[in-house]
Amino acid sequence: RGMKGRGRNAATNLQRFTGCAVREFTFLAKKPGCSGLHITTDACWGRCETWEKPVLDPPFIESHQRVCTYNVTQLVTVQLPNCSASVDPAYTYAMALRCHCGMCVTSTTECITSG
Amino acid sequence: YEVLSPGCHLYPFNVTIRSDRRGTCRGTHVAFACVGYCESSAFPSRYSVLLASNFTHNVTSASRCCTISKDAKVKVRLDCPRGRRHDDIEILTARACRCDMCRKSRY
Repeated sequence: RGMKGRGRNAATNLQRFTGCAVREFTFLAKKPGCSGLHITTDACWGRCETWEKPVLDPPFIESHQRVCTYNVTQLVTVQLPNCSASVDPAYTYAMALRCHCGMCVTSTTECITSG
Repeated sequence: YEVLSPGCHLYPFNVTIRSDRRGTCRGTHVAFACVGYCESSAFPSRYSVLLASNFTHNVTSASRCCTISKDAKVKVRLDCPRGRRHDDIEILTARACRCDMCRKSRY
């Protein structure tokens, strides 16, 4: 599973890139009862402006946390290979048509954050 | 200050404090915020995430945000008219910044 830049120039530019863009992403689609299938699709990657600022009143820190996430999504369905007879081979995943710096919406998105 | 470059940096701003609404005593101080551009990405969720969310979370967003990693209190002296005195006011300022967990429950 990983994001790919295109060529050496892309890699260099990515170190300086700010904003949020559609970027190629490869992952292994798999579910119990079928073989896995490598899929290359469009996902989102970038660096959005975030900040924390001390303020005089509680909670004493004001923060702005927008992250690079899907703006317009298209669901794509593929057929996984070698599924057992009782298993539906259909596998549906989300492809990004457009990305933006926005709130991570917990109703549609698994929001994970790490230190 | 490299605010437009990747990373998370100290950024100065002016804080003005007034003793009351009329601003009888007032003081200004330069404090620091943390501002920057940390990496984040969003991609198709794994099957285990799809199952656990009843197929509602079809996107996974992995993010870090620009946060204050070290802060300090500083005293601001208020100037009053006609030689009156006002106690110093303590304010917070950032001392160091880091791309770290997005702390808001909904970020």
